[in-house]
Formats: sequence, C-alpha cells, structure tokens
Amino acid sequence: MTDLALMTAPSPAPVATRAKIETKNLDFYYGATRALNNISLQLAPNTVTAFIGPSGCGKSTLLRVFNRMYDLYPGQRAEGEVLLDGKNILVPGLDLNLLRARIGMVFQKPTPFPMTIYENIAFGIKLYENLSRSELDGRVEHALRGAALWNEVKDKLDASGLSLSGGQQQRLCIARTVAIQPEVILFDEPCSALDPISTAKVEELLDELKAKYTIAIVTHNMQQAARVSEFTAFMYLGELVEFAQTTRIFTAPEKRQTQDYITGRFG
Amino acid sequence: MSPSPFVFPCGARLVNIETRMKSLPVDRARALAAFRLGDASFYWLTRICALVVLCILGGIILSLMIGAWPAIQTFGFDFLVTRRWAPQLEPTPVLGALGPIYGTLVTSALAMLVAVPVGIGIAIFLSELCPPALRRPVGIAIELLAGIPSIIYGMWGFFVLAPFMTDHVQPLFIDLFDGVPVLGAIFAGPPSYLSLFNASLVLAIMVLPFITAISRDVFMSVPPMLKESAYGLGCTTWEVVRNVVIPYTRTGVIGGIMLALGRALGETMAVTFIIGNSFQISGSIFAPGTTISAAIASEFAEASGVHQSALILLGLLLFVLTFIVLASARLMLARLERKAGA
Amino acid sequence: MMSLYATRRRRDVIIRVLCVAAAGFGLMWLTLILFTLLWNGLAGLHLSVFTQMTPPPGSKTGGLANAIVGSLVMTVIGVGIGAPLGLFAGTYLAEYGRHEKLSFYVRFINDILLSAPSIVIGLFIYSAVVVPMGGFSALAGSLALAVIVTPVVVRTTEDMLRLVPDQVREAAAALGLPRSLVIRRIAYRAARTGLITGILLATARVAGETAPLLFTALSNQFWSLSLSQPMANLPVTINNFVQSPYEYWRQLAWTGALLITLAVLALNIVARLLGAERKTK
Repeated sequence: MTDLALMTAPSPAPVATRAKIETKNLDFYYGATRALNNISLQLAPNTVTAFIGPSGCGKSTLLRVFNRMYDLYPGQRAEGEVLLDGKNILVPGLDLNLLRARIGMVFQKPTPFPMTIYENIAFGIKLYENLSRSELDGRVEHALRGAALWNEVKDKLDASGLSLSGGQQQRLCIARTVAIQPEVILFDEPCSALDPISTAKVEELLDELKAKYTIAIVTHNMQQAARVSEFTAFMYLGELVEFAQTTRIFTAPEKRQTQDYITGRFG
Repeated sequence: MSPSPFVFPCGARLVNIETRMKSLPVDRARALAAFRLGDASFYWLTRICALVVLCILGGIILSLMIGAWPAIQTFGFDFLVTRRWAPQLEPTPVLGALGPIYGTLVTSALAMLVAVPVGIGIAIFLSELCPPALRRPVGIAIELLAGIPSIIYGMWGFFVLAPFMTDHVQPLFIDLFDGVPVLGAIFAGPPSYLSLFNASLVLAIMVLPFITAISRDVFMSVPPMLKESAYGLGCTTWEVVRNVVIPYTRTGVIGGIMLALGRALGETMAVTFIIGNSFQISGSIFAPGTTISAAIASEFAEASGVHQSALILLGLLLFVLTFIVLASARLMLARLERKAGA
Repeated sequence: MMSLYATRRRRDVIIRVLCVAAAGFGLMWLTLILFTLLWNGLAGLHLSVFTQMTPPPGSKTGGLANAIVGSLVMTVIGVGIGAPLGLFAGTYLAEYGRHEKLSFYVRFINDILLSAPSIVIGLFIYSAVVVPMGGFSALAGSLALAVIVTPVVVRTTEDMLRLVPDQVREAAAALGLPRSLVIRRIAYRAARTGLITGILLATARVAGETAPLLFTALSNQFWSLSLSQPMANLPVTINNFVQSPYEYWRQLAWTGALLITLAVLALNIVARLLGAERKTK
C-alpha cells in the first residue's frame, strides 16, 4: 500500500508494463491555453478508473486525448506521450479510425444515430466485418444483451433509435460501442442526463463491462465514482492532484485539496 | 516484475483478452484501408465543388468583362453620364446608361418606399395583433406568395394593375399636385399605361411578401419574457414594438429589407411589360422609362456589335450595383452587431 | 398624468389601425393576383393545353405541350447539375472546411451569387455557352438554371448540416468511422429532410425563372427534345404571348402562368410539410 504514495505526486510514475493506457508528462492546449499540465498516470486493464474534479479541471479533456477526439478540431494539441499497450498514440500518421475502433466512447448526452435500433448497432459492425445476416443478427443481439437492453427492444428493432427513452438511448450507445469489440471504453459523464433508475442500470452495466474492457469514466457525481470504480483520479485546474485506489481517495486522501473536494468544501 | 501500484482484480482474464485482441486489429486495419480511397475522393469531391462555386463567380465577372470590353473601349466613362441611347446611329451608335440607371434607382426606391412600411406593418400585425387563429394561415399564404415567379406579377401588372392605376389613381395624383412646386413636376401628367410609377407598384407588391416573411420571422424570435416584462411596465402594444421588438430585431429586419432591395434592383420580368422601355429621363414618375434589366431583356436578342456589348456592360453595372447593396448591408449588419456586443 | 396616458393610448390605437390597414392593403393585392390568375387561367385550362403544340400567330387552337415538357426537361437538368454541386460544396463548408479560410471566401461569394440578378446569369451563360456553341440551346438554358440552383442549395445544405449536433459526429467518429462515412451515413441522414427541403425550394425558385432563359434556351414553337437546339419552355412562351395582339395567345399565357404557379406552390407546400415533419420528430 505504501506504493500508492508514489501515485499522488504528478512526478513521473513508475512504469507498469501491464497498464492498458499510460500517459507520460501529458500537456494539452486549446490554442494558447493550457488545459492539462504534466499528467502522468496509468489505467489498469479490466478496471474502472473514475476521474473527478470541479468543472473545467480537464477531466473530459483528458478522456478526449485517449481516443484523440480532439483531432476533429483545429487548434487543439497534445504534447507528451499516451501509451496504449505500450505504443504511443500521439505520434503523427497514426490511423485514428483504427485507434477509435479500439477505444470506444460513450458521451454525456445519448447520441443514437438517426436510424433504426438494429441499424444503430449493425452499422459499426458492418464497417469492419463482412457478416451474413444471421451472424449479424447474433452480434446485434449479443451487443444489446451486453448493454442490458435486449429485453426492452427485442420486439421493436426496426423502430427509430430516437424513439427510445433517454436511459435506453444511452444503453443503446453503450451497446453500439460494445458491438465493435473495443479494448477500452471511455465514459464522459454518461449519467448526467439520466434519471436515477436509468443511472442505476448504467452503473450495473459498468460493473459487468469491466470484466471485458478497461474503463475510464468522468463523473461529477462522487457517490457514483465511489460506487463504480477501483481507482479514482482527482483533477484540479488541469493538474492531476491525486490518483489512488478509490477506497483510499474517499477515506484517507493524501492531499488537502482532495479532502476539501470530497467533503464538499469547494467545487 | 516491475513495480506497479495496481492491484489487479482479475489478472487471470487478462491473458484471454490479449490473445483475442491480437487477431482483431488486423482485420479492422484491412477493413478501414478499403475506405481510404473513398474517404479521400469524397473530401476532394466536396472541395472541388466548393472551388467550382468560386469559379462560377469568376466566370460571371470574366465573361461580362470580356463581353463589355468593346463598349468600354468605345464609350469609356461617358457611358455612365450619357442620356442618349441611339443604337442605330451611323457610323457609330451613341449609347449611355444614365436612363436605365435612373429608372432602376427610381423604381427600386419607390418600391421600397411602399413595401417597407406596409411589409413591416403586416409583420407587426401578424406577430402582435393578429388573432391566433388567423396567424398561421395568413403567415403561410405570405410565404407561399414570396415564392411565386416574378413573371406572374409582371403579367398581372400588365393586364390588371396598369390599366386600373392609369385610369383611376394617376389622374388623382396629377390633379392633387398640379401647380405645387417640385411635387407638381414629379407627378406631372399625362397618365401613362407604361410608366415608372406602375412598374414601381408591381415591384413593391412583389417584394412585399419577402419583407413581411423575414420581418415576421425575426419579430417572432423575440423572447416572450422580454415582451412580457415591457407589458408589465404598462407599455402599450406600440411601445413594446417600438422599444423592445424593433431594437431587438433591427439587424434581421435590415437584412430582410436589403435582400428585398437587391431583388427589386435586379428584377426583370415584373417590370419589363409595363415600364415602357424608354431611355428618356423625365422628371415625372408617370412617364415611361426603363431599368437596366428591362433594357437587356427587351433589346439583347436583337442586338449585335457594340450595342450588344453595351447591354452586357449594363449587366455588369447591375451586378456591381447589387454587389454594393449586399456588401453595404453586410457591413452595416456587422457594425450593428459589434455595437450591440459592446 | 392622465393626459400623457391618453396620448399614449391614442398613439397606440393609431398605429394598430395602420398595421391592420397595411395588412388589409397588402393582402388585398395578393389575393387579387391569385384571383385574377385563377379566373383567367382556369378559363383556358383544357386538355388540349397538355396535348397540343404552341400555336402559330393568329391560330385559334393549340396548347402548351412542348413548353410544359421543355420546362420540365430544363428544370430537371438544371437541378440535376446544380443540386449535387451545391450539396457537395455546402458539405465542404459545413464539414471539412468549417474552419478554413477557403470556406470564408466561398461563403461570401455564394451570398453574392444568391443575390445576383437572374438576367445577369443569362448574360453569363450567353457569353460562356451560347456564343462558343454557336447558338441558343436547351443545354444553355439548363446551365443557367443550374447556376441559380447551386447557391441556394449550398446555403441550405450548410445550414442544415450545421444543425446536426457535433456530438453525433463525435459519436460516429468514436466508433472509428472514417470522416466521409460520418458525413454520408450519419450527418446526411440526420439532416435528410432539411436537405431535401432545400433542393425542393431551389427547384421551385427556378421553375418559373424567365429572365435567364430569354437568350439562352430562347424558345421553340415546335416539339424538340434536343439539348443542342432551342427548347420551348413555359416562362419564355408566356413572355412572348403576353404582349401579343392575339387573344388566344394571351389566354394561353394566363393558363401557362397558372400551371407554373400551381407547380411552384405544390413544391413549396411539399417542402413545408417535410419541414414540419422534421420539427415534430
């Protein structure tokens, strides 16, 4: 347990060969504004890592570096290293589509595509694989089961994805992500637009998903972080303040700032 | 083993996952590679189409310049200030643009003079005064009317409006202002079937739905809260419109008016039947005249040589004129926006 | 205090009356136009209008068949060229080139094209197509219409694609979709009704355009489907018949005007219905 102390400082962290994702001295800029400052951390495989911190602390930005979503916009750039299975994904010329197929993402607001429920799932699969109709059906069902949505939608697969409720839409988006078999799934405040019951369903799902995937989740809700994650990173003003096992962060944080945030003294 | 802070909750499963992953990305890379050519071609397709839009404008300007060049060489700057239009004159025709320019400006100004207050009046009626049951049908009717081709307005002006105005309205104005300085000259008789006045009215009626539709849309965009708080102070409907609605929507309304003005300046078919195609400049608005577009429409097919070139030069002038209107509208809007922002 | 209030009330009433009067005045003219059009147009609306060719001067029989078909052909070709051009150019502005300098210029130039007088477009096509080809032709007419369609479609396409939330694009990109597929399969689909509405409105706009056809397609008294020959079309036929001394020609002009108006109104109404459907979704 004493090793944890090493993680609390933003100094270079020890190399873990088995880390799924590792950032080294990562800086991020929106134009001239620095949004992330010297972030070094490691995401362990098959765990849920939660990122918490006040708005604008850079937690969503960090998530968008992992799948290089920021590349869609000009004037945003990352410096340092982000290693996926030991390979730097910030190198120029990397096939971003391939990267994003390996690292899925679920967004704050549900974003079903304007097509049927079936198509929403099948769409991504067909992109990468030539499957027969029955194989495809099987994969769609598998994905929907994986997102605990199958029983609710199995009779209306031809309905528009937009006709589902908010919570169902979000699980549809998770199913869509799972369907293309990524290795990592990034969740960007996936429950902030959902009611408590839907939130509970998504949280249960997270617990099941971590058996197969490495999961990173940004959340505003500290109880949620405590419930779903094994590791928690507390960020503030673009810095990684503290990163440790979730139980540790919530019971005995090293840093004063973390303590203040957890107890609601600021943020 | 290297030092690691992690306590792996399910290290055993790790092996399975890694072997599974090894097979997958290869297929994906191949699948994605198949899209690469299509991806690049689509990008270039859209980019080239965007460039074609630029080229169309370049083509318009270039072809008009080339077409107008003989006339520019023959007449030079005098073209703009010459009143005479004598294409048949030997050995060289005398051609001046003053008549059509005058006609274009006068008909557009008159049309806007009528259409702007009426159009905004209708918009205020629709957004503030109209019973809700009428609001939608009338609004839709106005929008549909904005889409009717201008030749319909031109025909109607020729067959219906011009006779009516000439027999009943023009004499009224002529009698009313007879002997009054300035106004007497503007409304000098005799009444004429083919006149600037009749053409302006048709133009006004044609741009009316435009101005109304745009103004109504922007009036409707005023947040109800803003209006309600003004009514809460005890403002009358007019005061709310005057002090809240119009200031809030000024840029939109001005944009709509400028759009309508651009239409009026360049309009051909609504005026060409009833303007008279006379290159004379007379002070009276009841006299026949011509506009740039009407002159081109009625003479171009039979013109040749420097006469045709002069008509193309007229077209170039019209293009420049509408461009100036558009550019000044944009500048004005940008300035207003900046002021509102500051 | 009371007198000030009374003044304010009076002013309010005056303005209200003026607005109602303006509405009455404006709507009166517009209903009058529609009424005359229906009255005169219906009087000549027989089956022969659709089956017979445009008559020679003085004839008491004849229809608009060649003009109707010619208008359809040129409108379809014009939209067929202008709509894809505008769609892709608009796609560039809204998707790939959103932050590029090039888009700024294209946008500005497109606005100029949008407000360019249609007769100037006619002059352009005359110089650029009719003169080099050695004569008036249906192709020239179609190209003139395409030049008018393009900027309208560019504008609506860009506006409609911008209404698609960036989050949907990000979600598609997060699945590893190549950019062109994000646009074609997701953004186009999300904006589909808007894109169709834009194209319909552009079609309505050119269906009745007369000025750009006057010296490009010219007109043709006879049946012709050749793109390299002058082609009859409703607007120019109307233009030629309106000012003629022949009663029958004038009647045909009214009937043709009614047909054009009905077609344009139908296109507008379909576009509106589609738009309404989008909003309820």
